[in-house]
Parts: sequence; structure tokens; C-alpha cells
Amino acid sequence: MVQVIVPSILAAQAEGRERFEVEADTVGDALRALPIADLIFNERGEWNKYLNVYVDETDARERGGPACPLTGAREIRVVAMIAGG
Amino acid sequence: MGLVGTRKGLFLLRGDDGRHHWRAEGPLLDGWAVYHATVDARDGTIYAAANHAVYGPTVQRSADGGKTWQRSRQLSVPESSGLTVIAAWHIEPGLPQEPETLYLGADPGILFRSDDHGKTWEPNLGILRHPTRDHWISGAGGMCCDSIQLDPRDPQRMYVCVTSAGTLRTDDGGQTWLPVNKNVAADYLATPYGEIGQCVHKLLMHPARPDRLWQQNHCGVYRSDDGGDSWERLDGNGLPSGFGFPIMIDPKDPDTAFVIPERSMEYHYSPNAEFAVYRTRDSGQSWERVSDGLPSPAWAVVLREASASDADSVYFGTQSGSFFAFADGAWIEAVRHLPPILSVEVTQWFR
Repeated sequence: MVQVIVPSILAAQAEGRERFEVEADTVGDALRALPIADLIFNERGEWNKYLNVYVDETDARERGGPACPLTGAREIRVVAMIAGG
Repeated sequence: MGLVGTRKGLFLLRGDDGRHHWRAEGPLLDGWAVYHATVDARDGTIYAAANHAVYGPTVQRSADGGKTWQRSRQLSVPESSGLTVIAAWHIEPGLPQEPETLYLGADPGILFRSDDHGKTWEPNLGILRHPTRDHWISGAGGMCCDSIQLDPRDPQRMYVCVTSAGTLRTDDGGQTWLPVNKNVAADYLATPYGEIGQCVHKLLMHPARPDRLWQQNHCGVYRSDDGGDSWERLDGNGLPSGFGFPIMIDPKDPDTAFVIPERSMEYHYSPNAEFAVYRTRDSGQSWERVSDGLPSPAWAVVLREASASDADSVYFGTQSGSFFAFADGAWIEAVRHLPPILSVEVTQWFR
């Protein structure tokens, strides 16, 4: 099991839940299992551009993005990228 | 009740009978840019076109006055179109005889229809695959589809506007769409009076005379009395500028309309810092300035969805976060210091 932590706007779209426990082999599978998957992936199944995903403090994009393996991972953290003025 | 969509969420504004005192509640959908929100008068559901720079476009609906919200299934178009949905812009409930149907205008130039109270949405293929689409232009604000008007006499007839394709009319329930832009200027094109490419900022049909259409365009203010077959340009009849975004009508009087002129194309604020609404009561043959109660000088910006009217008054909101209502011959700045206002709707009907 891996714990997924999402930011507050996503949590508000999931009846206030900020943490989820999921069983998955990859980051993509874990995030697709969430009730807010449609806000993380666009209609073509790609991660939204301004979203960062960390697996135990490693940027998942550096390890294959959605294909990033979760072997031994404890935590996935979804973070909105800094943007705006 | 006013539904005021802002860059940071939806505010519900409750006014007294005289429209002098208003109370703001919100933000609902905290953090979402609400491009448009409306109440479906058929069942009281609130619908919101809510977009977020990180999380994308959504349609949200609430059956309990905004306490709880449900998201529609993710908006999508066929991959073969080469398009993806960029933003949800405008939600229009269907006619009374189709109680489960709603329409959604989206960027890039997409019309969706829902036949299950907004749970799921399907793109209109006549718009998606329109033979002129290759000539449609995406403006600085995107290729929005923000005006959807349904003819109450004829469920086969409706109008949509795309920036910048112009006004499109269907007479066969949405299977085919005819560009109806005759005499409407597109001064930014090499051929300013072509079939397609006009930049409609807002189009409204008069509910009591459905062949009468009003439009505030990038290049002028227009009226049609024949369902868009031809248009008469009206801004030369006393407006300080033909440029502007919103237009308001009086549901009791087809000859009355209101516009908020802005300095032309590259500037987008009140001309000469004179923030004013202009009203016509003679079908656009003349315009009178209606500015009592508005601040001066002011460099106001009012977006295309940020105005509304009902049987008793007209309303609008500014990019600087002020909501104005017209009461007893003057404008009341009913609420101020909201986030930038993107949309305004009003209703007296609420559950």
C-alpha cells in the first residue's frame, strides 16, 4: 500500500480527503485509482502540465512519469506547481 | 440573487427587494475560475463552468444551493479531432420541453450537449467538424464559445458564437450550422466582411421576439430582426466606441438594450476614463448615457459574461471586483473588493 497526499483544492473535490491508501504497481495506476483522477490527468491520459508528483521525495517525471514503479515506495505527494503573479 | 463568477470562486449575492443592499456569500468552488454559473430554472440546480490552471476545465453542479457540488464526467472530444478541451465557458439550460438537456460552450470552439442533467457531455459534431473550422481564429482569450441562444418557438433552431468564427445558426437541431454574419465587420481580417471570422463578444436573443438578436462585437454593436440573416450596425448612433464585451437586454421591451463601451481593440478600458453604460430604447437608433452612481474617473473593464438582466433591472461586475445593480435610476455598487469578476447571472428563483 502507498499513501497518496493531494493538495487542498483536489481534497475539496474529494469530499475533503487529503490522504488516500492505494495498492498499485506504478504512480499512474495509483493516481488513476483516485476519485479525482480526472483532475490529475487530461482527456488524453497525460498528467496535467502544471502538476508535480513526488514519490518519496523523488520527482516521478525523472523516473518514467506515470510508469514510475512503486516498489518499496511509501508516499506519493501531488503538488501544484508554482505559477502566477 | 446574483451568481457572480470570479477568478477565485463563485459568490452568491443576495439583494433586498429594492436592490440597494446586498450580502455576499462565498467563495464557493474556492480557488476555481468560474467563467459562468447559472441556475437552471427548471429544477433549481446551479451549474458552474469552473476552470483551474492546474486541474483543467470542469462543469460543476449543485442541487442544494451551493452547499455540495458534483463534477461532470471529464469533458473530452474525439482524439481524431486533434483538439483538446481547454476551458469550459458557458452553460445554457435547454428548453422546458427537454428537462434533462443542457448545452455547454467551450474553448476551442466546442459546443457540448448533455441529456442527463449535466452528468455527461457529448460534443456537437456539426460544430466540431464544421467545414469552415480551418478558418476560425483563436483570439488572445482563446477560441471561446460563450453565447448559446435557443429559440423558444422552434427547438430545431439555435445560435452559438465562437471567437472568432462568428455567429452560427442551426435550423435542424444541431446537425448543420450556417454562418450568419452578413454585414458584420471583422476589421482585423484582410476581408472584413467575409462569411466567417467575426469576433462576437456576446449575443442575446430577445425572449419575446426571438428573431431579434443583439450582439456586442469586437467591431461594433449590431441588431438583427430576421434571425441573423442580416445585421444593422448601431454604434455610429451615439456610442463613444463600438468596442466592448457585454450586452444586456430588457426582457419586457425588445427595443431596449444596454452596452458598456471600452476604448477600442488594443486598450480595453473605459474611453477617456469615463466609465458609463449606454442604453437604447429605440432599437439602437440612439443611445443615452446612464452613469449616475458609477465612479469617475475610472478605467473599468467588464468581461463578456459579466452582465445580466431580469424583468426589473440590469447588473454587471468589473475586473476590479465591483458588482453593480441598477436601482431607482442610478447604479448601486452593491459589493466591492471581490476577485476579478468573470461572470454574472441573476435569478429570483431559488430553492
